[in-house]
Amino acid sequence: MNRIQNKLQEDKKLVSIYFTAGYPNIDDTVTIIKNLENSGVDMIEIGLPFSDPLADGPTIQDSSTAALKNGMTTEVLFEQLKDIRKSVNIPLIIMGYFNPMFQYGIEAFCKKCNEIGIDGLIIPDLPVDVYHEEYQATFEAYGLINVFLITPQTSAERIAFIDSVSNGFIYMVSSASTTGAKTGFGDEQAAYFERIAKMKLKNPQIIGFGISNNATFTEATKYAKGAIIGSAFVKHVTKHGVHTIDHFIKSVVSG
Amino acid sequence: MKLKVCGMKYQDNIAQVAALQPDYLGFIFYEKTPRHFDTKIPDLPKSIKKVGVFVNEDLNTVIEKVNKFDLQAVQLHGEEAPYYCSILRNTKLISKPLDIIKVFSVKEGFNFKVLEPYEDLCDYYLFDTKGKLPGGNGYTFDWSLLEAYPSTKPFFLSGGIGLEQVEALKAFKASSASKYCYALDVNSKFETEPGLKNSASLREFKMKLSPNKDMQNYNVNDKGYYGEFGGAYIPEMLYPNVEELRQNYLKIMGEPDFQKEFNKLLKDYVGRPSPLYFAKRLSEKYNTKIYLKREDLNHTGAHKINNTIGQILMAKRLGKHRIIAETGAGQHGVATATVCALMGMECIVYMGEIDIARQAPNVARMKMLGATVVPALSGSRTLKDATNEAIRDWINNPVDTHYIIGSAIGPHPYPDMVTRFQAVISEEIKWQLKAQEGRENPDYVVACIGGGSNAAGTYYHYLHEESVGIIAVEAAGLGIDSGESAATSVLGKEGIIHGCKTLLMQTEDGQITEPYSISAGLDYPGVGPMHAHLSKTGRAEFLSITDSDAMEAGLELSKLEGIIPAIETSHAFAIFKHKTFKPDDVVVMSLSGRGDKDLQNYIDYFKF
Repeated sequence: MNRIQNKLQEDKKLVSIYFTAGYPNIDDTVTIIKNLENSGVDMIEIGLPFSDPLADGPTIQDSSTAALKNGMTTEVLFEQLKDIRKSVNIPLIIMGYFNPMFQYGIEAFCKKCNEIGIDGLIIPDLPVDVYHEEYQATFEAYGLINVFLITPQTSAERIAFIDSVSNGFIYMVSSASTTGAKTGFGDEQAAYFERIAKMKLKNPQIIGFGISNNATFTEATKYAKGAIIGSAFVKHVTKHGVHTIDHFIKSVVSG
Repeated sequence: MKLKVCGMKYQDNIAQVAALQPDYLGFIFYEKTPRHFDTKIPDLPKSIKKVGVFVNEDLNTVIEKVNKFDLQAVQLHGEEAPYYCSILRNTKLISKPLDIIKVFSVKEGFNFKVLEPYEDLCDYYLFDTKGKLPGGNGYTFDWSLLEAYPSTKPFFLSGGIGLEQVEALKAFKASSASKYCYALDVNSKFETEPGLKNSASLREFKMKLSPNKDMQNYNVNDKGYYGEFGGAYIPEMLYPNVEELRQNYLKIMGEPDFQKEFNKLLKDYVGRPSPLYFAKRLSEKYNTKIYLKREDLNHTGAHKINNTIGQILMAKRLGKHRIIAETGAGQHGVATATVCALMGMECIVYMGEIDIARQAPNVARMKMLGATVVPALSGSRTLKDATNEAIRDWINNPVDTHYIIGSAIGPHPYPDMVTRFQAVISEEIKWQLKAQEGRENPDYVVACIGGGSNAAGTYYHYLHEESVGIIAVEAAGLGIDSGESAATSVLGKEGIIHGCKTLLMQTEDGQITEPYSISAGLDYPGVGPMHAHLSKTGRAEFLSITDSDAMEAGLELSKLEGIIPAIETSHAFAIFKHKTFKPDDVVVMSLSGRGDKDLQNYIDYFKF
């Protein structure tokens, strides 16, 4: 069984952290992963930077631009991660836009992920329909779990389809927004979280976008299996560097 | 199967529809219909037969009309008895051959025995829907009833046939019920008002029913692809909006009240048709026949408004009241701000910070029109980044906002929708050229390409005309190999940008690179998926023109023809320095925009 699936079976609320690979410094990638594992997070999303990250707000955009300037590429990231499984056990997901993967070659990319020990992928601009028709077989052949997003606007019918194609978790976007755009949840979110919880989907849901502190983390995990923190974490490393990660995680998880 | 277009009424419209070369045009001589014909029939190609439609008319009147209008067929739509047909058939008062088409309205339980007395007295039957009016009722009957057709006389199939029946018609053609079906008769489903036919949808109908099998399809397929390019690679957050548009755009565009409003605005507000002007001095200089399609004379000074008018009407029908757009040169921004002012809608235009600086007059125009101009500060701060910002806005405002994309780019259905709105350009070229040169098809159509919307519109009705050469002119910037270029067809590889798979300038690692061109409107690292397909299949010839060649060509056009073009457009005119045409070649150039907005750039360049 895939590390993601194992993790999802644990009887606890999960905290997943996104960071941009090669940021703040090109060689921070592995350090951040190790520090995150040591600080007790459950899953990590390694952001493969892209020049035109459409679904992201300014924080992740800027970190991506900086990472690219630092020299980050798909090739460099794979090189940095090649021995990661000698020291890290938690599930690792690569999150990135489709074009860099497409240029690397989808099969070659999946193969490399498999060799390194990457467990899953999140590709915001690869729609579930295209994935299902063209790429699902390849992803599955290399044991990769592809994670899809749903939003408050996603129809019940489409959620059901996404649930049927997924075999890990569903990434529940908290509100109609780019990353890092909103802080705090209102009644609208609560209603949406509840609506999805009631659908009794086959795949557990993890909520992302707008989770920045203990209050939002607690609210989100009331309804879902876990929560993803991205922009707030990137802001933290921008400000405090990569060595006080455990303080940040503790403040979010236990308040 | 032959095609008859019935219920023709207006002179210009008759000429437009005749340009599509249907086999029959029908004129209704029946006073109780709004399609009643009472004017002159313009000269028509000999291949088109003129049909007079009559309802229980006095025989003398029928004979008079046949002679007066030189009709080659009469269609009898009332309860004309067999002897009536017999008199018409044998009268000496009509000297030329006349076909008689007898109409029967069909519904369930129709008894084909009623045909028997007419079997030797008419040439064709026409089967129509049984409705309130004699024809023009707008709905179909159950064609499978024709399985029981006992005769071998060829018949016309009529009644409510429209674009939405294409698939059903294909099935009908494959069935035994169509064995003696000789022609299709269309009318109200192709009208924007009674008697006024929409030639664009007629052309589409014709093409869909009998596509030229030897040629590739250059239009979008059902899944939103042009060959391998296109599709909708969008984050899930955008899916509901794009899907809503995909499901509705063709339906809305086909609605008569949409067509009517769109055409009226194009005519009265935009000033269409734009002239097709024979450029005498330019033609003399390059020893070929050059025509200019004057999109620069449209309101707001470029082709962009064709699309924004269409999209704002679409947005209204989708219930949206907030409009966002991206802009490069500012022409699309101005065109969007203009239609938003016209419709009283909120308008936000994203524009790269660099472009804001180099296109100041357009920024001022947008503000004066009431739009908010938001600078895009990320990346290269040009068109690509403005597009990113507009997409982010749409993600954050999914319910009330429509995104008016200005070029033939973006996720499906945008490239196709924008192309269809711009297709009015080639639609007009066809009949205008016919009037001036006696032929619809030039030897070449030429347009500049950034994302490619003026090009898409200029090519659209020529894509499947093999005799027409298609030339696409890209911006080479400082030169293809200079590292400062926007020539996507040469420098681009297949990739994904702004929601579609197309040719894209990018690093080996798949990062989108910063293009460069002196013209803000061509400064885009991708190209519309239709154009990527035209390039890949070789249907279009792609040329790239440097900044300096473009500027010189702009100056030359100004001095030879008294027309200052936009710098984007100037690129297209530089091809005459690089490509020689034959003296009798007809070359139609899309003069996509006027140069007022670029005056400062021309001044800086030429040091006026």
